Parts: sequence; structure tokens; C-alpha cells
Amino acid sequence: MGSGSARVVAVDVGGTFTDVCVLDQGSGELQVAKVASTKDPIDGVMAGVEEAGIDLSATALFCHGTTVATNALITRRLPKAAMVCTKGFRDVVEIGRGTRDDLWDAYKDNAEPYIRRRDRLEVTERVDHTGQVLTALDEDEARNVARILAKRNIETVAVCFVNAYANGDNEQRMAEILQEALPDATISTSSGVLPELFEHERFSTTVANAVLSPLVSSYVNRLDERLKQDGYDGDLLILHSGGGVMTPEAVQKLAVRLAASGIAAGAVAARYTAELCGFKNVIGVDMGGTSTDISLVYDNQLRTTNEWFVEYGHPICFPSIEVLTIGAGGGSLARIDAAGSLRNGPQSAGSDPGPAAYGKGGEEPTNTDANLVLGRLGTRLVGGGMELDRDAATAAVDKIGEPLNLDTHAAAEAIIAVANANMADAVRIISLQRGYDPREFALVVFGGAGPLHGAALAKELGVPTVLVPPRPGTWSALGCLMVDIRHDLSEMFLRPASDADASELQDAFERLEEQGRQLLAHEGVAEDDVQLDRSIAMRYLGQWRSLEVAYEDDLNASVERFHQEHEREFSYRRDDAPVELYRLQVVATGKTAEIELPKHERTGEMPEPIETRTVYFDGEPTDTPVYERSDLPAGARFEGPAVIDQLDTTTLVPPGVNAEVDEWLNIRMEVK
Amino acid sequence: MSSLDPVTFEVLKNSFVTVVDEMAEQILRTCHSFVIFSRDFSCALHDANGDTIMQGSQDIAVHVGTLHLKAKAVLEDFEGDIHEGDVFAVNDPYRGGTHFPDFSLIRPVFADGELIALAQANGHWADVGGSVPGSFDVGATDHFGEGIRVPPIRVVDKGTARDDVIGMIASNSRAPGDIVGDCHAQIEATRVAEQELFRLIDKYGKEDVVTAFGAVQDYVERLTRARIADLPDGEWETADHVDFDPGSDEGLVTVKVKLTIDGDEITYDLNGSDPAIKSFLNSGAGVAFSGAIASAKTFLPEIPLNSGFYRAIKVEVGPEGTIVNAGWPNAVTGSVSGAYEKIMNAGFELWSQVMPERAMACCFNLEYLLVGGRDARREDRPFFMWYDWMAGGWGGRNGRDGQDCTSPVFGVGLAVQPFEGQERLTPVLTAQHEIIPDSGGPGKHRGGCGVRKGGTLTQVDAAVMSYCCDRARSVTWGIAGGLPSLPHGVWLNRGSDEERFLGANFSGVPVKEGDRFERPSAGGGGLGDPLERDPAEVLEDVADGYVTIERAALDYGVVVEEVDAELAEYRIDEAATSKLRDEQRATRAARIDEDPEDVARRFRDGQLDVLDLVRHYGVILDWGSGDVLPRTTEQYRELLRRRSVSEWG
Repeated sequence: MGSGSARVVAVDVGGTFTDVCVLDQGSGELQVAKVASTKDPIDGVMAGVEEAGIDLSATALFCHGTTVATNALITRRLPKAAMVCTKGFRDVVEIGRGTRDDLWDAYKDNAEPYIRRRDRLEVTERVDHTGQVLTALDEDEARNVARILAKRNIETVAVCFVNAYANGDNEQRMAEILQEALPDATISTSSGVLPELFEHERFSTTVANAVLSPLVSSYVNRLDERLKQDGYDGDLLILHSGGGVMTPEAVQKLAVRLAASGIAAGAVAARYTAELCGFKNVIGVDMGGTSTDISLVYDNQLRTTNEWFVEYGHPICFPSIEVLTIGAGGGSLARIDAAGSLRNGPQSAGSDPGPAAYGKGGEEPTNTDANLVLGRLGTRLVGGGMELDRDAATAAVDKIGEPLNLDTHAAAEAIIAVANANMADAVRIISLQRGYDPREFALVVFGGAGPLHGAALAKELGVPTVLVPPRPGTWSALGCLMVDIRHDLSEMFLRPASDADASELQDAFERLEEQGRQLLAHEGVAEDDVQLDRSIAMRYLGQWRSLEVAYEDDLNASVERFHQEHEREFSYRRDDAPVELYRLQVVATGKTAEIELPKHERTGEMPEPIETRTVYFDGEPTDTPVYERSDLPAGARFEGPAVIDQLDTTTLVPPGVNAEVDEWLNIRMEVK
Repeated sequence: MSSLDPVTFEVLKNSFVTVVDEMAEQILRTCHSFVIFSRDFSCALHDANGDTIMQGSQDIAVHVGTLHLKAKAVLEDFEGDIHEGDVFAVNDPYRGGTHFPDFSLIRPVFADGELIALAQANGHWADVGGSVPGSFDVGATDHFGEGIRVPPIRVVDKGTARDDVIGMIASNSRAPGDIVGDCHAQIEATRVAEQELFRLIDKYGKEDVVTAFGAVQDYVERLTRARIADLPDGEWETADHVDFDPGSDEGLVTVKVKLTIDGDEITYDLNGSDPAIKSFLNSGAGVAFSGAIASAKTFLPEIPLNSGFYRAIKVEVGPEGTIVNAGWPNAVTGSVSGAYEKIMNAGFELWSQVMPERAMACCFNLEYLLVGGRDARREDRPFFMWYDWMAGGWGGRNGRDGQDCTSPVFGVGLAVQPFEGQERLTPVLTAQHEIIPDSGGPGKHRGGCGVRKGGTLTQVDAAVMSYCCDRARSVTWGIAGGLPSLPHGVWLNRGSDEERFLGANFSGVPVKEGDRFERPSAGGGGLGDPLERDPAEVLEDVADGYVTIERAALDYGVVVEEVDAELAEYRIDEAATSKLRDEQRATRAARIDEDPEDVARRFRDGQLDVLDLVRHYGVILDWGSGDVLPRTTEQYRELLRRRSVSEWG
């Protein structure tokens, strides 16, 4: 892996913008660039590299987060794919669990399966739940299926057999037969991708992997080549949904792990800020133009989930950072509903026409308009590149004010209050519902709109501290740099804890660890940089959901940890109830070079404000100093009200809130 | 009462949604019963009168409109004797409950010593006693065979759980451990709601929070009335049917529904429905109310659910003693399969006329198949229950086909079970879980596809099979010229010498090791004349195997030829299609008047199949024996004439 010298680069490709962060490890200088995303995302990446003036031959590490996989699934621009299933079960991925995302709207349909029914073929074979082969694979049928798929010029195949988590031999044999007939195709087996119980979840994950494989592999390989051409000689590392990075070679086998690569970066960046500032528990709030991504770090760990999807009904069951996305952003629209109640979002004015203040034809009020009316935003946006129209914003906000009998400023504050309350509800869902008390957390706010709302949101939630990183608009890109190579390996291990044999447990863990070690060794990770963490998913016998707890060669200790964790999350424990082991996991981590942000000496000198403007707080017009962010040195302390402007965002410090710039140039606000 | 500023109101309204959803999350993560885990539960917050302030956004439909009745039953029975730290339980279907397995845990919430709210968590417990495993006795004619009846009782007394009382209920179950676990999970969920209410009171003050309880109901009422006022005034009437009354001769049993829109108010009238039948498909008044409300909510999906909705939409369930308002002690446990989904689907038919842009034909009927006995794979031969339900097809829609393989209308959140999990827990090996070709009712917009699931019993001992379903005879119907799907029913050892058709409603049929069983879930009914379906859509359906080449011709008059099945390539013979469609237009209406006995003979001879009979000839048989059911056939033909034949231009 790259050593700690020279420059490290992170490029995060989003739907609208491609963000680039460059950190000079020697000087500590952090540089950012933002360019428009392009049709072939690689063009955007290279444009960003150029914009930031990066010399790839002097780059030690290049990390990348991408929405390529997510977009491919949503737009269905997928390669010619097929599925081979046990006879009688080709519709498992279409039947799913039968449920719908919206229970009441009979006109809202689930997305179609990623592979059409005509491309789902069957063969005779059957394995039971113990792994015993009840019916051998009919190889004549298998060869015939392979021949048909070759005739159809299929590029990628998902092999999904019943109970293959218990014995994958038939799948493996089917894969071999397919590979003979289709030498260039990618073959994914369900036992290879995710050897876990429950057919729909395993099949669906395998199908997603199959349809993404050719596409994502070729994307990663092309990018790797472009970077090499331009002189980069290190490893390209790609951020995966679980909050680790993987190499292009690992992507060939588990492309599905990139399905949420794009949203993981922000959560990782929030954790980094937390660690830097000495907080073990933080909630990350990344608020952009149309939506807000909320993530949670507890005890320095990002919360992950195995239950997620890009489209409802098609689960992807790899550990993924849990990010809750809600329709609340700068462009979210406020409106009065049919019963006369004030609502905010999830509809958004987007970037076109955008908020009324943009003067591009938008007439409905947005959060941005309300912030402008209140003086919290200035009329110049993006470093003066865009002029906001205060009159248009006022007219829009009045459309809400009139029916509610509120003057312009009261209406604007009402709009913001509802937006903040909606975000607070979302934070409660991800925290309180999981047994976490938000008052024990700090808030890290970033994205273009986050720092405007952060202090109010913290107040609403009772969170004492708000952290605003130095470059909020591109902060999430930095997340790509702040992770290690990570492989998640698992094996089903269903039996009561009291029946578990220690040596059997040890053997199973060693098998998983050996897989992890081999993967990392293959990726050139030195033995000293390998870390292996064991955990066990357990549940009370009879329960349907399991909890993961760490395992350190003492099952009793893990069972006790399970009781404790159950009590924390669900507020009760049952010491008398038998505990069942469900699944064993090993996280194999290959440490990458540590990233260090520069520390600045605290001078504490407050600069002169660039202007003083009237900002409304609780209906009161208040003279408020406006500072330029780059003028604020480490150690600067001040009390709200204050507004801090910078190229990519505006930070609002309400009256009574104490703020301080720390040695990493984060603004810390203490909210009473 | 003070009035709330708009921000406080909006914030509290959303907070109430969060409270009930947090309860749901708590239950989902801690429940023991797989039925609850599959989302057969609901949560609500009530005001001090028991009226519903907010119901969970993912709640199962059949609980809608019943929770406030149970809350009110607790308040009524314990008036003057309700204390902080108490929790009550109730499952009584004659007091507004759904059926015996649905147990509600209800916690009064006090502020400054005053009762201000009730938090309710309602879940379907795996077994609550009665004569058969799972407490689904199709043969029950009164409540005594169905399970334990629990009127409001106290299970937590000022913070102390009454283990004696909980133990007594659990002792009446075949799965006592699950019952205790679920009872505690639900008690905890109500505690979560209490904590959240306390947080809101801390922040906004008791007065504002209590004011918001009422304001949120007023808000929903205003929203509902505004929507209704935009609809045309008028009266619409129809009937849907349960297959038969075991206590009477063959013949469909009528569930009557009349919908009246008058200004900003809606009234459902169920008067004229048939008397209660001698099976458990009857419903209590609460469930009937819920069926009507749920059909309205399906057409007004954006309106939140609380008692404000019930103020604008009224339901007359009619006198006691009918299939929709059975009254004690008539059996009601299968109401969801029986009267309930009939009310809902009849509602869909009426609303499709009121709001044609959201029209939808009949959806497949809920079905529960149960195999219970001893698991001989293990030495201790523990009791096992293989308790299964399927997704099926929903009705054809305005401009769109119906949804394929979707959970039943009684609860779209009810997830089908993973059979790999079932195979670990029970000695049943699943043989297939697949879409049935031609199961969608034909129409210009066809019904969604149904599913087939079956299996083989491996090492079982003393096992019996029961089935709670319907619509083997009152087949899932089409509207506006669309055609029906297929009849329900379980087959045992199909295609062998021991073949038996067990029907769509039976109980306690002995089964043994090696027995094979299978059953279909219907597709949805079609919407619009199938001869008007775009042939290109039929072609796509053939390529995917949703429709066979044979039935493309029989049901749609579209002649499809195979080009290369290995490439899934087919083409339409345009000339032959045009000719066939002309022929069918000229002759099809007459088939419904042919002699049923003659039709049955051709069926037995293999010239016609079951889909021909239910779609084109309107003849209903005992599908096992092949005998004509004359009275049922007569009624069925009348319905087919009204919904389908008369609509063909």
C-alpha cells in the first residue's frame, strides 16, 4: 500500500457534482474542487483531477466513491443477465415477501425484478436444510440451460439454488457447466455471494451482484487504466457500502458491495470528524439541496444494517452503513395542505427552477427562501457566483403567511421550524428507535445546507455540541480516504448457545479468518496491517431477528454481551430464556495509510466581520456580524448571533450559542 | 381549549406518527411469534375517550378502525379503577376485536395524575387454544371451539406484571412460551409510547399535547371531508359473496354493500347481508366497520388514519345475527377470509365507479394453510405448526395491469414466509413457490398473477391439515368487462391414485408422511374487455410465461406463434387474431347460457378446463367430484353477466 508520503486524493461522484479532495500529507494542506458530474462518470473524475491540479504520478493514494452501481440499478441500464434456479423456484425473486412500500396506495408498484422472468431458467436439483443432497444436479438439463443462455448471448448469470447456504456444491457444479458454455460471462452463485439463510434475501442479493458485475467491473477497470495512463502507480481503492474500501479485483467478485458506495462517504467523514474531536457518539447530518442523509456513530462505530435495498422489494443483504435519507433540503417546498396545515417537503424545487430566490421561475417557497428572508443567508451565493432575489423569496414566503395570518418573518420562521422538526423526527427514528439517546451525541453537520440548520436541530434534539467541519460542501468526499480495506465474511451457525462446541466454533472462525487473510494477502496487505474481528449474531430462541456481538474466545462473555445489547436496544433482557447462535462473522481489515489533517495553532484572534446585517431570530430583527470563514483562525471564540460565510455553505450561530474554532478548523457550537 | 400555533401543531402531529412507528419497531424486533414478525400487528395512540389519535403507518388493514373500540372497552369496564402503571389486555371480537388470536395490550398514560391517553399494541399470537393448532377451526360454529375469549383484563397492576393472569392465558395455548414473549414485547412497546409522550409533555406542556390529540383528529376530519366534497353525490350498490354456508344447501352467501356520498360525508350500509353462517367466516361488527373503512382508505391513501376519518365516513353494519355482524357466540375467527375481504372488494367495485381513475377489480382472497402435528425428525417429537399464507394477484386497474404476487388486501404489510426457514422448523419440504401462468383474470388490463405453493410432508406424526380461505366458487371477479381468475382450493396427492380435492375451507384433515399438497392463490380479476387488450401486451406476457399461447387465444383472441422458444421469441399472427376476435365477439355471450350439465360433461371429458368454466361458461362445480352446483352456478352467471358480459360493447 502507499506510504504516508506526498498526496492522497479522494473523488466522490454524486448525481450532480463530482467532489475532489486532495490532502498534502507533508504540508497538511487540504484542497478541494467541485466539477459537474458527466455522462461517463470517469470524464468527471478526470476533469476534477485536472481542476484540482493533481499530479497523479506524485499521488500516493487514490480513493473513490461512486454512484455508478446505484444508478445502474435505478435506471435499469443493465447487461444481458440470466438466472438459473432450482426447479419450482425461479419466481422467488419476483414473489419476494409480497409486501409493498406504500401499504395503501394500490397504484404504487414495486420495481420489477432485475432479471425478467423469461431469462430465469430452472434445473432439477435439491438440497435440504442440513445440506444433504436430496436430488443430484441433472447435468444434462444443466448443459441444456447453459447452451440456451449461450445462444442468448448472456453476459452474466446468477445461480440460485434452494438451501445452498448449507451446501453450495450443486451451485458450484452448475457454475462450472455455465462457464464452459459461456467463457466470457460472469457467474455469481448464491453460496459464493452470501451463504445465508432465507431464499429471497440471498437470491435477490445474488441477482443484484450478477447484474452489476460486468458493468461495475468494467467501470473500475477503465478508471484504473486512465489513472495509470496519467501516471498513478498505486492501488485504486473504491469505497463500498459497508464503510470500507475494496480493490478493483475484489469488485470483480462482489460488485454488489458498491450499491451504496455513494452515500457511505458522508457517514465515514462524520465519524472521522467525531474521532478527531474526541467524540465517541455522533450523528452525521449531511443536508444538501433536495435531501438529508442521517447516519449514526456509537462508540466510534458506524451503525450498519443488513436490511437495505436500492429499490423496495429487492433486498441487498451485505452489511451497509445505515443511512436514513429524508426529503428535507435547501430546496424543499413548503405548502399549505387541503386541511389548512403547514407542511414542508418532501417535494423539492430541485436545481431547476430551484428556490424562488434563484429567479429561475420558481414561485413556491423553499427553506432557502425562508433563510434568505430571515437574513440567515446573504444575497450572494457560491462565493458571489450567484445573486439571490430577496423580493422573489418574500413573495413566495407570503404565500404561506397569508392563509396562516403570519407576517413574512413569522412565516419564514415557521417554515424553518417545520423543516427542523422533520429532520429531528428522522434523527429520532435512527437514534431513539434503536435505543440511543440523542443527548449523548454530538451533531456533525455538513453539506451545502447543514450548517444553516445545525444549531436549531441540536436544540430541538437536546444535543449539546454541534461540529461544522472546515469544508462542509465537499466534506463527504473526504470520507473515501478515511477507511481501510474491509471484507465481511459470514457463515450460518444455527444452534442453541448451550449446545455450541468450542472447538467447532473455533474451526468455523478459523475458516472465515483464513479466507479473509488470503483475500488481504492477495491485495498486497502486509501481515502486520491485517486485523481480524470475530462476531456472532444471536437471538433469544424463538425470536426472528438477531443482534451481533463481538466474540473473543469466550462464548459466555459474548452471550452476556448479547443480553446487555438486547437490553440497551430493546430495553429488556431475559436471562432465563435460551439464547440461539445464528451466524458467525469475521471482518477482515487491511489497514491503509493513516490520513492526518493538519493541526493549526490556536491564535484566538477574532477578525473584523465583513459586514453586519439584520437577521431575524424569534421574530426579533438582530444586528448580526458576518464573518468570512477563512478569516477565522483556530482558537477564535465568539458568541452568537453570528453568520459565517464561505464558498460552499453558510453557518448560522444563533443568539446565546457559544462557538469556537478548534485546531482542525472545525467550528464547535455549544448549544444550551 | 387553547388553539395551537401552526408549527406546534405540525410538529406534534408528526411526533404522534413517530410514536406509533417507534412502537411498531419495538414489537418487530422483540416479538416471538412469526405471525407478528411477518407484520400481523398494529399500534395506536388514543385520547382519554379511547378515540384514535394516530395509527401506525405500516399497520395491517384489518386492525384499522377496530383499535379504538378495544380502547373504549377497557375504559368502559374499568371506569374509576384505572391507575398509573396498569396495562390491560383484550381480544374479544364481540367488543370490537378482530378475532381471538389478535391480542391488544393497552396502557393508560397519566400526566399530573390525570388520564390523558392510551397506548395500544395489538398483535396476532400464534395459538390461543381452541380445537385446532393455530386457533383456526374452520368447522367451528360458535366461539367455544375457537380459542380463549378475553374481555378487558388487567395484566400489569400499578407496575407489577400479573404473571398469574398472563400465565392463565398462556396455559390455554399450544405455544405458551411465545405467548408470554409476545405479551411482554407488546407491553414494552406501550411503555415506549408512554416515554415519548412524557418527552413531548416536558417540551410542549400537557395542555398543548392534549389539545393536539383533538386537533389532529379534527385535522383528519377536515381533510377527509374536503376530499369527499369533491366527489360526486350519489348511491352505489353491489354485493360480494362467500362460497357457501355449511349449515345450509349450496349457494353463494351475500355480503351487501351500499355506498352513499352526500356532500362531505360517506355512509356505508351493510343492511341486507345474509344471516350468519355455520362456519367461522362471519365477522363481528368491528371487523365489518374496518372492512368498509379500509376500502375507503385504499382510494384515499394519502389521508392519515385516526378517529377523524371515522367521523366523515360512517358505517351501518345492520342488526346482529348476520354474516357481517354475527354477534356472540357465532364463530368469527376466519372473518378476514370471509366477510371482511368481501366488504373490502365490494367497496373497491363501488369506488371504481366513483373514482374511475383509480379503479381496481377484485383482488385474490386471503388464504391460510396450516399443518400441525408432531415433528418426527427429532426424538422428543415436539409439536410443530407449518402455518403458511401466500401472496396473490390484485385486480386490473385503470390503464394498468393488476399487481402480481402481492400480499392480501387485509394486510399488505403481511410478508410471506421464507420457506428455507420453514424447512428448518418443520418437517415439510417445499416443492414449488412459483407464479401460475394464466392466473391473472383476463381483461384489457389483466389481473396480477397468483402463486402456487406446495410441499411434501416428510417425517410427521399425528398431523392434520386445515385451510382458511374462500373463493373456490365465488371466484375472484373482473369488472367493466374483465374476467375472473381461478378457483381456490387445496389438492392432496394431485395426479396420483390418492388424489383428493379438499376445497377452500376445511379443518383437521388427517395427513401422513409422504403426502403431497399444493394450492394456488388466485390472480386478480381483469378490468375491461379482454378482446380489447393490445396484442403486443399479450405477446410480452407469453414471452415471460405469464400467459400461455393456448390461453392467449382462448381468453384474448390473440394468435401467438412460437419463433424460437429458446430465445423467448414469439410473434403475433395479425390476420388470424383479427379473425378469431371477430368470431369470439359474435359467439361468446351465448356460452353463458349453455346447459351447465352439458358443460360439466365436456369438463369431465377433458374438452374444457376449469378456466373455461369460470371465465366463459359461468359454471361452478364441486371441483373434486365434477358435479354441477346448480344454485351457485345460477348466481355466479348472474354476477358474470352484470360485471362482464353486459359491459362488452
